[in-house]
Amino acid sequence: MDMSIFSNLALGFGVALTPINLMYCLIGVLLGTLIGVLPGIGPVATIAMLLPVTFSLSPITALIMLAGIYYGAQYGGSTSAILVNLPGESSSVVTCLDGYQMARQGRAGVALATAAIGSFFAGCVSTLIVAMFAPPLAEVALKFGPSEYFSLMVLGLVAAVVLAHGSVVKAVAMVILGLLLGLVGTDVNSGVLRFAFGISELADGIGFVTVAMGVFGIAEIITNLEMKDEREVFTNKVTNMFPTREDWKRMWKPILRGTFLGSALGILPGGGALLASFGAYTLEKKVSKYGHEFGKGAIEGVAAPEAANNAGAQTSFIPLLTLGIPSNAVMALMIGAMMIQGIAPGPQVMTEKPELFWGMIASMWVGNLMLVILNLPMIGLWIKLLTVPYRILFPSILVFMAIGVYSLSNNPFDVLLMMLFGLLGYVFVKLECEPAPLLLGFILGPLMEENLRRAMLLSRGDPIVFFTKPISAGFLIASIALLIILLLPNIRKKREEAFVEA
Amino acid sequence: MKIKSPKDFWAGLMFIGFGLFFLVVAGNYQMGSAVRMGPAYFPTVLGGIMAVLGAIVLFQSLTIQGGPMPQFSFKPIFFISLALILFGYLLKPIGFVLALVVLVFVSAFGGHEFRAKEVAILAVVLIVFSVLAFVKGLTLPFPLWPDFMS
Amino acid sequence: MKIIFVLLALLTGAGAAFAQAWPAKPVRLICPYPGGPVDISSRVIAQKLQEALGQPVIVETRPGAGGVIAADYVAKSAPDGYTLLMGAIATHAINPALMASLPYDPMRDFRHIALVVQVPNVLIVNNDLPARNVAELVALAKARPGKLDFGSGSTGSTGHLAGELFKQMTGTYMVHIPYKASAPAVLDLLAGRLQLMFDNLASSLPNIKAGKVRALAVTTANRTSFLPEMPTLDESGLKGFNMTTWWGVMAPAKTPPEVVTRLSNEIVRALDAPDTKERLRSMGSETPAIRTPEAFTTFIESEKALYAKLVRISGAKPD
Repeated sequence: MDMSIFSNLALGFGVALTPINLMYCLIGVLLGTLIGVLPGIGPVATIAMLLPVTFSLSPITALIMLAGIYYGAQYGGSTSAILVNLPGESSSVVTCLDGYQMARQGRAGVALATAAIGSFFAGCVSTLIVAMFAPPLAEVALKFGPSEYFSLMVLGLVAAVVLAHGSVVKAVAMVILGLLLGLVGTDVNSGVLRFAFGISELADGIGFVTVAMGVFGIAEIITNLEMKDEREVFTNKVTNMFPTREDWKRMWKPILRGTFLGSALGILPGGGALLASFGAYTLEKKVSKYGHEFGKGAIEGVAAPEAANNAGAQTSFIPLLTLGIPSNAVMALMIGAMMIQGIAPGPQVMTEKPELFWGMIASMWVGNLMLVILNLPMIGLWIKLLTVPYRILFPSILVFMAIGVYSLSNNPFDVLLMMLFGLLGYVFVKLECEPAPLLLGFILGPLMEENLRRAMLLSRGDPIVFFTKPISAGFLIASIALLIILLLPNIRKKREEAFVEA
Repeated sequence: MKIKSPKDFWAGLMFIGFGLFFLVVAGNYQMGSAVRMGPAYFPTVLGGIMAVLGAIVLFQSLTIQGGPMPQFSFKPIFFISLALILFGYLLKPIGFVLALVVLVFVSAFGGHEFRAKEVAILAVVLIVFSVLAFVKGLTLPFPLWPDFMS
Repeated sequence: MKIIFVLLALLTGAGAAFAQAWPAKPVRLICPYPGGPVDISSRVIAQKLQEALGQPVIVETRPGAGGVIAADYVAKSAPDGYTLLMGAIATHAINPALMASLPYDPMRDFRHIALVVQVPNVLIVNNDLPARNVAELVALAKARPGKLDFGSGSTGSTGHLAGELFKQMTGTYMVHIPYKASAPAVLDLLAGRLQLMFDNLASSLPNIKAGKVRALAVTTANRTSFLPEMPTLDESGLKGFNMTTWWGVMAPAKTPPEVVTRLSNEIVRALDAPDTKERLRSMGSETPAIRTPEAFTTFIESEKALYAKLVRISGAKPD
């Protein structure tokens, strides 16, 4: 590391702190937070709609605002996940698991504060990582090919089982159901339509948001409505709003681990950031001494994935800025936005437009600071929302869900699909089948199949490649190790049971 | 033979059903080979594993004691589903405002108690907010009113 | 008698008034591909049209089924000039050949109004590949049959079909590796897991200029102003090779001719405006030479024929 980093950062802050850039950064994060809270309305649609507005701005100002929308949406997404069990995007699914439980126990404030603090810390660290190591880390991104991604997905799937706290067999079955649902649509290799039954809306597959809002959001509403008394949904006894000493003690290590895991995964453009929050949750559940509390409102289960998610969101700018490779749909749109401003994202951005590159990095930090300053005072307001009687709250949630899902492709079919997944989710609740592993399988399924088939095509059918490539082999060994750790408690339990009987 | 865990019994059946469904439908596509895996390869393998796992859960339900089968409550299921479908398919024909009225009123029937006045106020508030935020603010392409009125 | 003349005059006048009345309400431009260059250019054009027409022009994305959902929706919409489509090479030239059945007819169900964007593809190879030009690449592929891999953004994309045409014209055998989008394929090309691909010029330009990949030729009939020193495939021995990726504004078939003319004129004017030119150029598009609805229809006709042939030789059509 050379010392030019400081002069570079100084240059960046010089750009980011001009009044006009500060103002657009603020507009971006505000708007991002708003659409993040509203389920279904994603940053892609918002950025596309705002694009004509940015034509009149200078390139750096435009990009600062658009990036603000992106990470603002990440912040906002966790708010609706915690308050009403609504994951608006893949990264907030795991936040639902413990965050919503905390909210029901009257600890929504603590959960929201933890999410904000975790995200802020992760944002600071990962911004620094982007600033210091972007070019060498881009080389890491290049090392990941189809076989490496496939093995990483395998590890992710084994980890998915850890997400559940009930039966392992049922969790595995749910992962596989998710994998299968993820295969609906046009097959990448052959172009064949699978499991679409002549419905053209299914040709591009089932949308993640549709499934997640169905099995989490709708199922939760139906379950709540069947309770005898609506006061059972949220407890009236709201404890402290901000984390206590004990909470701080429990959250700092998970935040640290989540930040590093998320930063590492975010570098991989082929689906790494998707794994960040899931991976961090799994890791915490295994290393934490409060592992048994996960799924019942453990603060670690909010802190780690929120940190990981935000860190991943920041480091996913690395492949974009250094290689011109987008990691997700938002990044792809950012490339379009940059191009239309006359900037071609790629290896030259850093050297030819240093003020743009460093200005954007500095603005990420500024934006994160704005988000935490904006969000902490908002917590009180959000908690007030939960004191609204449920008979008022639930039609309102439905309205936002319906509008959000409809707007995905301006097609009523998505609303219908969300409703069907809601019913399925309700059945899952009744049969004690947990939906989180299903959703992870759903995300990973298509990626896994694609990369497996691509790796086999490239190796001309030789499966040995998965073991001869060191990174790939490492992931597979880790998967096997994790599988053994997972199965061990069961074996031990069985033996203990046997001893008791004897 | 006695079912000791009805929840697992039905879960097992559900998994077997899903597994076989994907397995059978995948039969319509090409299997391919390990080098050039066809579109049927992955779903066939996964569907098979799924069905086997379902069978394991089913078998366990006969040997391991579990909780009783819970009740399903059909009132919220019915009204929530109906409200969503009506909203989705009525939005273009009758416009955003009226579709929201339908959504709020029908879903409110699924709640614990239905207070008409309260629901009406709620509908107005939600409509005002949604029109401002989504149609005016985020410029979602929704017609506000039925075609003949605009 | 006089009365009849007056009536006639009134009627025709009323007719003209009706035509002038368009647009009396917001116009919707349906875009089949959200978030990508088609979406972005739709918004660029919509903004310009809005200024010219004095009514809001709203871009509405209707993704799905490779653009079929959007195209079908517009084909079946009222032909009143208030519902337009950003139709593309996929919806109007490739899908008819690739898909078993289409719910719309790309020629009969549409009035093709104006071509908006036309982007060349470029043949790029990994830097370590010992091929400095097309002839060397062909020699290499012949020396190592079945050893070279080329990637593309999807089965049936222009990148894929360009590769298949290349194979057929040069008598070589290379393996096609499909991806979900072209960016991950570029990543594998940079890393050397793929040897070559036919990529969109705009997205590969920065890597070409930075020397991260080597460009061998462009796929257009004439050289492009973006890389004037780059030969075409046609010059490099593949006579008649001419492929571009394109999209443009279309309307339902029975849209009134006045509306079509007005739209065509406004769009062409917008395309000639320096700011639009600059924006579309930054997306890799030179201002299209096709400037009338009739020429656009003829162009689509020839593209449709070309891709019917290419899809057949590629075997890309799923059975």
